[in-house]
Amino acid sequence: MLEVKNVSKVYEGKVTYRALSNIDLEIEKGDFVAIMGPSGSGKTTLLNMVATIDEPTTGEVLIEAKNPHTLNQNDLAKFRRRELGFVFQEFNLLHTLTVEENMVLPLTLDGKRVKEMKQRANAIAEKLGIAEIMSKRTHEISGGQAQRAAIARAMIHQPKLLLADEPTGNLDSKASKDVMSMLETLNKKEETTMMLVTHDPQAASYADRVVFIRDGKFYSEIHRGESRQTFFQSIIDTLSLMGGDDSDFSSIRD
Amino acid sequence: MTFRQFAINNVIRNKRLYAAYFLSSLFTVMVFFTFAIFAFHPAFFDGSIRGEILYGMTIAGGVIYVFSFFFVLYSMSSFLQSRKKEFGLLMMQGMSTRQIRLMVFMENMLIGFFATLGGILFGLVFAKAILLFAENVLIIDESLHFYFPLMAIIVTFVSFIILFLFISLFVSFILRTRKLVDLIKADKQSKGEPKASIALAIIAVVLLASGYATALYVKGPLVVMAMLPVIVVVVIGTYLLFTQLSVYVIRQLKERKGVFWRKTNMVLFSDLSFRMKDNARTFFMVAIISTVAFSAIGSLYGFQSFFMRGIDEANPFSFEYTSSADAKEEDMQKEVRFIEKALDKHEIKGDSSVIDKTYFSQNDGEVMITSETSYNRFADLLGENRVRIDDDEAVVITDSSKVMAPGSKVDRLMDSPVKLRDGTTIKPDRMLDEHVLPEMYSYYVISDTMYEKLPEPASVETTRVWAADEGQEDALVQAGEEIFDVIGGYNFAAIDYTIYQVNKVYGPILFIGLFIGIVFFVSAGSFLYFRLYTDLNQDKEKFRMIAKMGLTNKELKKVINRQTALLFFAPIVVALVHGAVALTALSHMFDYTLINESAMVLGTFTVIQIIYFLIVRHFYTKQIRRAVY
Repeated sequence: MLEVKNVSKVYEGKVTYRALSNIDLEIEKGDFVAIMGPSGSGKTTLLNMVATIDEPTTGEVLIEAKNPHTLNQNDLAKFRRRELGFVFQEFNLLHTLTVEENMVLPLTLDGKRVKEMKQRANAIAEKLGIAEIMSKRTHEISGGQAQRAAIARAMIHQPKLLLADEPTGNLDSKASKDVMSMLETLNKKEETTMMLVTHDPQAASYADRVVFIRDGKFYSEIHRGESRQTFFQSIIDTLSLMGGDDSDFSSIRD
Repeated sequence: MTFRQFAINNVIRNKRLYAAYFLSSLFTVMVFFTFAIFAFHPAFFDGSIRGEILYGMTIAGGVIYVFSFFFVLYSMSSFLQSRKKEFGLLMMQGMSTRQIRLMVFMENMLIGFFATLGGILFGLVFAKAILLFAENVLIIDESLHFYFPLMAIIVTFVSFIILFLFISLFVSFILRTRKLVDLIKADKQSKGEPKASIALAIIAVVLLASGYATALYVKGPLVVMAMLPVIVVVVIGTYLLFTQLSVYVIRQLKERKGVFWRKTNMVLFSDLSFRMKDNARTFFMVAIISTVAFSAIGSLYGFQSFFMRGIDEANPFSFEYTSSADAKEEDMQKEVRFIEKALDKHEIKGDSSVIDKTYFSQNDGEVMITSETSYNRFADLLGENRVRIDDDEAVVITDSSKVMAPGSKVDRLMDSPVKLRDGTTIKPDRMLDEHVLPEMYSYYVISDTMYEKLPEPASVETTRVWAADEGQEDALVQAGEEIFDVIGGYNFAAIDYTIYQVNKVYGPILFIGLFIGIVFFVSAGSFLYFRLYTDLNQDKEKFRMIAKMGLTNKELKKVINRQTALLFFAPIVVALVHGAVALTALSHMFDYTLINESAMVLGTFTVIQIIYFLIVRHFYTKQIRRAVY
């Protein structure tokens, strides 16, 4: 359903900076893919490209065999709010709105009927366990609740693809686990395709597949087996392999 | 880097941040300085201008100065608001509260100093324009030539350096630094939704309604008595309108999901209700300041047109010369010859005519009765409508509007018949509003045959009139002045010269009024601008976030458009309504309709505000779009 073909991104400026080079990525419908890599590896650039927030310098991004980057600005905005859902590290909830109002915002922008919006909001709130805080304002709820509200907002219009950028970055370990297992459940039950960018190996271990990139290049890819625990271990191993230079390893052996 | 260098570099290397505050200070200095250039013009000090006008200008200068003080203070505090985070950062590096105060003080003095210099420089550039403008509005015999305004420069420089010194001291003392964590998180904090009480919202409506009703209901001299209480009631009402009623209405709107959840309304209204606390104060201030500007300019303009109309109506002819019955025939001949000679000298073309105004006693007073032929002769002279009168009818010509006597003669004349010599009477059956004969009060016109049958008149005045052709105003003023100097104003009237003299006295008042009105209005605009730009960063953040979810260009424009329009027009609409009511009350006081004048003044301001809105909206949208896309 998502195809990233030979995508490169170059930032022109005083110093030309190559953020991504020749990345290929394919995600099938219902897949849950995590992108990992050290800081500055280009993972958020990749996500922004898929999210149509940024444009690739060369190569193309296809969502359901269509290239959204060929759309004009208005159609692109509509495409984003109908086909994509976003979850961010800093929740990005409007503090002037209640939780419920934040959730239905993408629908109101699309001019849906109030009854339908209410229905959908209640249904999804029930699923995510935030039904009691629907009328609360964003500063009255905890981080975990805020992120769940943000997920509810990202899911309310049943997007084809859910994009999450460090969704656990601002959460404690308990809330991180809650949020990630919720995303996993949504992926399994609703068959929502998900793409997750994260630093956190714990969070990445909830995915079916983890793609590692380093310095803007594809590094490796591992698939989850039966146990999440072993998957977590192999993620850690790959990270430590990727993290250092060859000399680092020799110094450990000494 | 010494501390002083740090503070100065902080300003100089951060120009954009300080630009808005700097420009508004510069603007204030410029306004004051242009006024000073005008007020200190040498032409006013050679004794040709009357003392009251100089006094008026001193007062006006004082008003502008006091106003500048509050304006700069306001812009400064809204500027400091947006820098909380910076202060927090500096304190985290170990800057003491005293040092922050010192820094703010030095920054302000630096900005103030350059704003004063800049304002004076810009003022000099516009000096010629303002002098030309003043020359046209004022009727001044000698032209206001350009001069080097040394006195104005000194006065402006000294007053504003003192002003900035006081404000810098004042602000650095009241600067509350509070807790470090509050400062750093200043932009993350939710201010909380303002509360509104139903009772106060209702009181707002009641106060405004009763204020308006009183202002519109009272007539005549009562208006003056009602003025103060009405102003107090309306000012309080306006304050409650913005702080309570508007919040209440928005909350009610938010409750209705059908409205609130429709498209971009949610983004618009939620913000509106949260900003209302900050907005309310700005709205209130802008509404009141604009109302003052509208009412001041409206009433000055209204007064002028009121006087001019009165003079015009009472004197339909260019020149009038009246001789009383006991005057000597030869004196009269001599004076008329003098007038004719003056007219020849200035090559004034026109017609003249003579009428014997015959007054008859009626009830307790005397009233003029004239014949159809005499009336029509004068009507022809002016190109007005002739009248046709049958023997059995009489026409009453109404008072000119200059007559302000209560229960004017009109009614009495219509009720009382014209008595003839043989005792028969003619009942008046028509009333005309014409200004044909040189007579201020109302009078009768009857047919020629009936005029012959009138009794002996109680008194007779002979009036000679000259009606000059159009387009000779300058010559008429000069001739008028010459004749006036010799004959005097007792039995001679020269309308163009009179108008000239009235304008000469009234011009400076109008100019000062206009000037202050415009200063108020422009600063009201700046308040709105500050309000808008204080929220710019928050707005950028908000729209960036929504745009990630998908917000089309059109929708973004729509939200910004409505948001800005509300900010710009909510207080102005209130001010327009206030102004309209105030001008209506004023017109009731004089029983003279000011609809045209009010419509023109209020209309002009509305147009200016719309243009201002379009410009600001353009730049604001551009800024937001640059941040978002």
